[in-house]
Amino acid sequence: MTQLLIKNGFVIDPLNNIHGEVVDIGVKDGKIVPPDDVDLRYAKVIDASGKLVVPGGVDVHTHVAGPKVSVGRLLMPNDHYKKGGRVVAIPGIKRSGTGIAVPSVTTIGYKYARMGWTMVMEAASPPLYTRHTHHELDDTPIVDKGVNLLLDSNWFILEYIEQKAQERVNAFIAWILEATKSYAVKLVDPGSAEAWSLGVATKPLDVDEVIPGTSVTPKDILVALANAVRDLKIPHPIHVHANMLGIPGNYVSTINTIKAVADIVNQRGLSIHLAHIQFNAYKGDSYATMTSGAEELAKLINTLTGVTFDMGQVVFMPTVTMTADAPWEYVLYHITKWKWAAGDVENETASGVVPYTFRRHIYTNVIQWGIGLELALLVKDASKVVISTDHPNAGPFTRYPQIIAWLMSKKARENEMKKLNKRALKRLALPAIDREYTFEEFVLTTRVAPAKIIGVEKFKGHLGVGADADIAIYDIDPRTYDPSRDYKKLVKAIKYAAYTIKGGEIVVKDGKIVKTIYGRTFYTKTRTDPKIMHEVLEDIKSKFNEWYTITFNNYTILEQELHKPYAITPV
Amino acid sequence: MSKTVNSLNLILVTGRTILQGTKVEEKLTKHYEEYAAIVRMHPRDLAKLGLKSGDHVKVIGPGGEVIVKAQRGADVPEGIAFIPLGPWAECVVEPKTDSTGMPGFKGIPVKVVKTGEPITSLSKIYGYNGYPILNLGVSLDIEAKGEIKRYTDVVCPFCGSLCDSLIVNVYGNRIVKVVNACPLGMSKIMGIYENRVLEPRIRVNGELVKVALEEAIDRAAEILVNAKYPVLYGWASTSVETIRLGLELAEIVGGVFDHTATFCHGPTALGFHEIGMPKSTLGQIKNRADVIVYWGSNVTEAHPMHPSRYSFTSIGRFRKGRKDRKLIVIDVRKTGAARNADMFIQAEPGKDFELLVALRLLVQGKELEAPVIAGVPREKVVELAEILMSAKFGVMFVGVGLTMSGAKEKNFEELFRLLHDLNTISKWVVIPMRGHFNVTGADLVTIWITGYPYAVDFSRRYPRYQPGITSTADIFLREEADALLNIASDPLAHFPKKVAEKMLKVPIITIDPKWSLTAAFSEVVIPSAFVGIECPGTAYRMDDVPIRLKKIVEPPPGVLCDEEIVRMLLEKVKEKLGVKK
Repeated sequence: MTQLLIKNGFVIDPLNNIHGEVVDIGVKDGKIVPPDDVDLRYAKVIDASGKLVVPGGVDVHTHVAGPKVSVGRLLMPNDHYKKGGRVVAIPGIKRSGTGIAVPSVTTIGYKYARMGWTMVMEAASPPLYTRHTHHELDDTPIVDKGVNLLLDSNWFILEYIEQKAQERVNAFIAWILEATKSYAVKLVDPGSAEAWSLGVATKPLDVDEVIPGTSVTPKDILVALANAVRDLKIPHPIHVHANMLGIPGNYVSTINTIKAVADIVNQRGLSIHLAHIQFNAYKGDSYATMTSGAEELAKLINTLTGVTFDMGQVVFMPTVTMTADAPWEYVLYHITKWKWAAGDVENETASGVVPYTFRRHIYTNVIQWGIGLELALLVKDASKVVISTDHPNAGPFTRYPQIIAWLMSKKARENEMKKLNKRALKRLALPAIDREYTFEEFVLTTRVAPAKIIGVEKFKGHLGVGADADIAIYDIDPRTYDPSRDYKKLVKAIKYAAYTIKGGEIVVKDGKIVKTIYGRTFYTKTRTDPKIMHEVLEDIKSKFNEWYTITFNNYTILEQELHKPYAITPV
Repeated sequence: MSKTVNSLNLILVTGRTILQGTKVEEKLTKHYEEYAAIVRMHPRDLAKLGLKSGDHVKVIGPGGEVIVKAQRGADVPEGIAFIPLGPWAECVVEPKTDSTGMPGFKGIPVKVVKTGEPITSLSKIYGYNGYPILNLGVSLDIEAKGEIKRYTDVVCPFCGSLCDSLIVNVYGNRIVKVVNACPLGMSKIMGIYENRVLEPRIRVNGELVKVALEEAIDRAAEILVNAKYPVLYGWASTSVETIRLGLELAEIVGGVFDHTATFCHGPTALGFHEIGMPKSTLGQIKNRADVIVYWGSNVTEAHPMHPSRYSFTSIGRFRKGRKDRKLIVIDVRKTGAARNADMFIQAEPGKDFELLVALRLLVQGKELEAPVIAGVPREKVVELAEILMSAKFGVMFVGVGLTMSGAKEKNFEELFRLLHDLNTISKWVVIPMRGHFNVTGADLVTIWITGYPYAVDFSRRYPRYQPGITSTADIFLREEADALLNIASDPLAHFPKKVAEKMLKVPIITIDPKWSLTAAFSEVVIPSAFVGIECPGTAYRMDDVPIRLKKIVEPPPGVLCDEEIVRMLLEKVKEKLGVKK
């Protein structure tokens, strides 16, 4: 196995209390080892002097695999013709690919790696389709991955909640996570898919509304699933796309969502991760009067320790929105009046896909752009913030370098604002915010925080001995370089990492892919009371043939169906 | 009786029949000719020509002419001639694709002439002029003895319905009983012992001679490496795992990757590109649908288990069987399901677009002026629109009747727009009725690896896509391809004859469990095992749900799975091109 010695790099590794100093890093057998353990006769030495050395990036929320992503690809052949997304095959080194907003799997893996990202979490996968999600993830090169499983409108769970049988909810979740080889519990507009399937979801549901056809509210679902995550010791807290997404005035629903579960804290001190919070932080009563609810949300999040979020930052370009929030996509289709695809999944969930372009002259789009940045800058502790675009909903992940520049440089924001809708800027607090992220905060929001939220901080998100050798080396020197002035250099440096090392192998050099390898797929294997588990399995089996169209035995995904499964067992 | 005429101008429709479907893998048998070399016509049309059922007729179409047996077809309306899928139909259909990649298989004007000549033989169709076509298919004689095993939850590898509750009994290594399968699935699973290819062969001096597998792989790799523009076609009847490797192979040799969607639901994808559709899994239909429409799909013959497992007779959570649902069938002829339907709309062939536009107008609250739309009286169209609008949960199952005829992909654009309109009033979804068991999987793998669904060209080392240019039929019509890899398919029998003639000019590599027409004309024949019976693998159902297929029996000795064969071929190609590992 390759041995590496990364010499003289300027290392930022907050989890190991290295806040920017020159440290050598040794790599052996895919792990980080003390530099002395590296046998220099066989090792490759990387001279990182004048360069920034950080752990590999982790993306906590991105739509990169599964049925709706492929629907997005099929809906947008025009996205694949474009030159920017095209990857030309070099046999033996890299595969070919296409796409900018919804790239093919190969392009996704390569573009993440070129930016120095080495782990991504697929944001939402319907259980029945998760075999498909795994197929795509297995074909996604370089990065490690995991699946967030959509569980909020599952008939079994809704029934157990109606029966107030929390222990049954727990057992069901333990079973389904393992049966589908998934990692975490995802809620998307809790309960809305059930309403959508009935054809009555003309407007999205609020947290306290009773879901049509049932007697439960989205709040009940939130609480039950948060309890289950705590009881089962699942590393990742509930991952929530809150109710009323995209609707002006929805910041109140977001606050209610947070308050509903804020005191249900898992063993790692976390209670909820709010996905793409920007879409859920709107004030006002119509799109014409919409303003930012970032201040109110930031104020609340600053007082709570267990609440984290990712930005869902808008970037201005054509993209494709895709979510399990089918009613919202239907609303959006009526705004855009172009293409719309939807997909209902029996007993489980629903989804929608609508292409959308964020434009600089549109008032609402500029407010959305401002909200994402305001939230990231107003929340004091950067380890609660994760950089994301909710790829591809608010823009593709390839624009992260630009977002980092906006956070690290007020000048970058001001230059962008020169091009934006003036009326919207007057309604934003952003122009008055002076905060600029430091390099350490950059590492926190892109490495440490996501690794901690996912619950893999023992071996990801840091460079201590024993961690996975996932390392990014950027051609910038924080000692001499001021990102707030020359932010364009920062964008370029992050877009094309000098080196990306994944599992101890050099995969990117000077911004180019030099090797194609495939990462692991993480999934959660939990334990629960065997007696209740037996009861629940009997109940599932008794209803399966009537509710589903495949048999119980064919539903379960076997470990050998995945290329590189890696079970995480909570202790 | 009125005066008879010598020739009659009719509209040709081709399609699947259950008898032809059961023998689709044994084309060189006499049975197949009996089932496929026929033309079904309305009794009045027969009378006009002065024919009895069983007389021979010559059918002349844009693709050429063929002599087949005339049959009385009560389900075929006057003015229409129906020929089952297969080499005979291919002789007359329209080979041009109107830039869609889909030749004209339905709604084609043809002339039918009475003749006393014998039925066109297969050997004549393929230019052998009387010499019998080579048939090296053998029957396997495996004794039913040994351990008795019973496999449950077996997934049927025949059509896109992927029924997954089959029970298969095995004695030793012999399948003796299949339960819960339809005639198509049953004949496929029970028929794996017939017409098999057991040894790899390559053509030496015009003869197909037995060789070792390595030699056949080497020859195949050489053909692919030396070709400037090879086409890799088939894939719909094999596993996702194989298709992935096939895409890598196409990328490395700089060829075209195309699968059978180009001939079934390719136009659906083209319509989807423009509009997008609301779809759902089949369970939603089973649990909730109260109005079910089959449009251009002969469900009882192409997907016999579909109604009872997923559709109008299925029993779900909220809808219990036929009484809870309304069934509407829209077709050019009275199909099996139509006899059972609450409403049958007989549209003129190729006029679906007209009907769709009329329905959209009505759904949008506008008036219809024309008294007759696509051969359907206005009142009936209004009644149909009212049923569609009053549905609680409606579904349109659309078949190749809509993709192959008339406006092709424009039909789908209009259909999806209709669905969008209907969704403002009630809840509607659409599900394409996919033919081959894993054609959906072939679509999806191609989408996630290249971004495009089918007809992907790698000649510039990155994926390009332009149906009508990069689709198999068009490439061969322009005589651009210089090699053909055919896996798990029989393109010579199912492409229009004019395309097949061009295919015969290039070296063909065939990987297939059974002896096929294409195998008989190949340079290299590599036997493979049956996915889902002799090999495990994954396939996608018509609603994109992936299901794991099982291995039930061992393949014949020395016969490998598609996945392994393609992997060996890929390694060999890499070796020949000097690609480092």
